[in-house]
Amino acid sequence: MKKPFLSSLLVLLIALILSLAIGSVFISPAEMWKILRGMGEAKFAFIIWNIRLPRTVLVALTGAALSGSGAAYQGLFRNPLADPFLIGVASGAGLGAVIAMSIQWPYSFWGLMAIPMAAFIAALLTVFIVYFLARVGQTVPTSNLILAGVAFSSFATSLTSFLMLRSTSEVRRALGWLLGGASQTGWTAILAMLPYVLIGLGILVFFGYRLNLLQFGDDQAQQMGLNVTRTKTLLLIASSLATAAAVAFSGIIGFIGLIVPHLMRMWFGADYRQLIPLSILGGATALLISDILARVVLAPQEIPVGIITALVGAPFFLWVLRRVKNQGYW
Amino acid sequence: MFRKTLILTLLAALLAACAPAPSTPVVDSAPTDAAATEAVATEAATESAAYLVTSDGLGREVTLAAPAERVVSLAPSTTEILFAVGAGAQVVGRDEFSDYPAEAAAIESVGGSMGEYSVETIVALEPDLVLAAEINTPELVSQLEELGLTVFYVNNPTTIEEMYGSLENVAALTGHDASELIDALKARVAAVDEKIAPISARPSVFYEIDASDPAKPYTYGPGTFGNLLIERAGGYNIGSEAADMYPQLSLEQIVVTNPSIILLGDSMWGVTPESVLTREGWGEIEAVKSSQVFPIDDNLISRPGPRLVDGLEALAKILHPGLFP
Repeated sequence: MKKPFLSSLLVLLIALILSLAIGSVFISPAEMWKILRGMGEAKFAFIIWNIRLPRTVLVALTGAALSGSGAAYQGLFRNPLADPFLIGVASGAGLGAVIAMSIQWPYSFWGLMAIPMAAFIAALLTVFIVYFLARVGQTVPTSNLILAGVAFSSFATSLTSFLMLRSTSEVRRALGWLLGGASQTGWTAILAMLPYVLIGLGILVFFGYRLNLLQFGDDQAQQMGLNVTRTKTLLLIASSLATAAAVAFSGIIGFIGLIVPHLMRMWFGADYRQLIPLSILGGATALLISDILARVVLAPQEIPVGIITALVGAPFFLWVLRRVKNQGYW
Repeated sequence: MFRKTLILTLLAALLAACAPAPSTPVVDSAPTDAAATEAVATEAATESAAYLVTSDGLGREVTLAAPAERVVSLAPSTTEILFAVGAGAQVVGRDEFSDYPAEAAAIESVGGSMGEYSVETIVALEPDLVLAAEINTPELVSQLEELGLTVFYVNNPTTIEEMYGSLENVAALTGHDASELIDALKARVAAVDEKIAPISARPSVFYEIDASDPAKPYTYGPGTFGNLLIERAGGYNIGSEAADMYPQLSLEQIVVTNPSIILLGDSMWGVTPESVLTREGWGEIEAVKSSQVFPIDDNLISRPGPRLVDGLEALAKILHPGLFP
């Protein structure tokens, strides 16, 4: 794998095509080719353009956001266990979503947007609160952030469980959301999340060099001329924006943000200037593959994709971990 | 300074999150769409005089140009209603849990466990009507609607009489007449009401939905059909005073309330009266002492369709065996 970007892009392209080609309704490759040229049967063309394409884009964006942020978090916290949910984005979003679900919204565009909006706002609010709880004077020590984040996350999660226990009628809806399944599909969701994902990931891509410096430790990085607190804060904002937007529309999808950056690190090295963009590409690919599996394993039944990511991702990750020769990759 | 930037960024984020979606219909996104939309939303698109305009359980206005010929049902209750009003032959798709009547099994499934439906299977069936129920999320309804499908959302009735309304709605949508069916159901309910009317004592009932943890079984609380039917059948549901719709009662509460009859809605999962009689700590309960523990088909109690009347009769028979020989 001499050309990491070329191969990653190629694999992503294959995953995109497969995601369009595979579904519970069988559409033959010949028919696909006709549809791409605008001559296919209307029914199948409709399925491709209005169901599979938006879903594919949504899934790819979500995977990219989670893995890109995951790679940044691992570098920021210098902790191999960090994932984009470490300091509360997921638990905050879950709490926001379940609060919104416990209210009877009228059936309207805004009534339907209430849940992703509440999830998005609550996710950012959680990170915000954790950030200020962890502040000591002018600095934000990493360990403080993790501890405040973990404690606040537990608090939010238990509050979520409590609310779910109280409003039994919405449990199905809430569970479906918390297990990570695209509840909102179509172009509306994509247009709403796109700016945050683009801005968030865009910032992360340009912070590769600064993430490399952070690996020397806060003091050393500071001496090398890096404004550590400012860098960290910007990284947090960028990752949180991308993750919160993804979570708001796709629900909580675990594991992708943790393993994809590690896989990329094992295969292509730990230089963050490469690692961030590679994780973005890899995350999109990994979630697309998980989503394809979620659609076909029990077709026409679909499985929440959050179940697949860990069910298939964990063994795959362990297999790579065993095979990787350079064990000192971290 | 930095904090200000942060706050501004977040504010901007909030505002942007509130930005409305494009007002153009979502389906206009690819070259082949025009044709495809037409193909899928045939009835809705034509300007011909509407056969039926009615509002559904979400307050949406649903318009059909002609009685629906191809119907996808997303819940067991709507499938049962469709078959009961004589529209069984028009059902082209059903959810995974629709198992009644037996003919439903032969119809193509569109998924549904864990709330996940295969939207593309639904679209591929080219239905001119999709029937949804309260177990379906509004998100699903809006998604199907955006894809150009006509969706009718059937509310959960709160009384048996309201259930007749669901039957009428579905019959009208599919071009059938439910009045005979409703008259027959009304007569059966009236027969039960009449026999129950003179009773002086209402036996107290514990209805078990799930007792995976026998120290904290689930039961029907206020606002559920289970509660409704037990009261209507001349019983007192000990779950009726709980705060939630599906409360977990502690064994202590059950022992104190001391129900004289236990109904096993979980008998379809293999729970038998014998197993309840040997449960630890349950021996003090009146129903267990006198062996008044009965299995019951929970599908008759939990699905808001015409079989609620079967459920009512089954309950009345168990609660007042003397009145229903």
